[in-house]
Amino acid sequence: MKEIMAIIRMDMINKTKDALLKEDFPSFHCKKVMGRGKKKVDYSMLEGLISENERMSPMLAEVISEGHRLLPKRLLSLIVEDDQVKKAVEIIINTNSKGNQGDGKIFVLPVTETIRVRTGETGNEAI
Amino acid sequence: MLMIRAIIRPERVNVVLSELCDAGFPAVTKIDVMGRGKQRGVKVGDVFYDEIPKEMLIMVVKDEDKDDVVKLIMKNAKTGQKGAFGDGKIFVSPVEEAYTISSGSNGL
Repeated sequence: MKEIMAIIRMDMINKTKDALLKEDFPSFHCKKVMGRGKKKVDYSMLEGLISENERMSPMLAEVISEGHRLLPKRLLSLIVEDDQVKKAVEIIINTNSKGNQGDGKIFVLPVTETIRVRTGETGNEAI
Repeated sequence: MLMIRAIIRPERVNVVLSELCDAGFPAVTKIDVMGRGKQRGVKVGDVFYDEIPKEMLIMVVKDEDKDDVVKLIMKNAKTGQKGAFGDGKIFVSPVEEAYTISSGSNGL
């Protein structure tokens, strides 16, 4: 068993969900997260907005300028069998790849055990 | 590759993130979480508060960078000289593969 942990753009979650469902990966969970990548984001536009727009509330301006500047992302996590990993990764890459920085990352982690809470089944049947 | 999951105090997040960025580890994901530790939460009077807000930082690094990152997080997430209960935990787990979605390339 492997866990596929994908960090993708907020607005791509529905497309990814549909694409995964079509290829028979219905089960997953996802969460709103904040993050940053290797490349520095250019905030000069935001800073211009803050300095020009005097009506913007000082608190909001502070959050944007002084905060640690993380961007909202979706963390998608699904557990699959070993031989399904390649297929699932391909689906996620194909639906999310626009060729731009910030499209996201996929990590594959080993999972030692899965247990279904309802019945107590373990192993591959429980996925 | 290794995944480092650090659960730290929300008020230390800013410091840890800026120090990580300065040390050359900008890539990080942050999640708001609630939790308790071995001390069973915080006891105020007779009441235990066992859902304490924390922040979880997730980062995936090369094997040789692990020690640096862990040391850096420990140094900056600590409160006071000796540290205090509730400063958090760091977990390290293996990652088998990593892909960049925009290019589809394998690796960090």
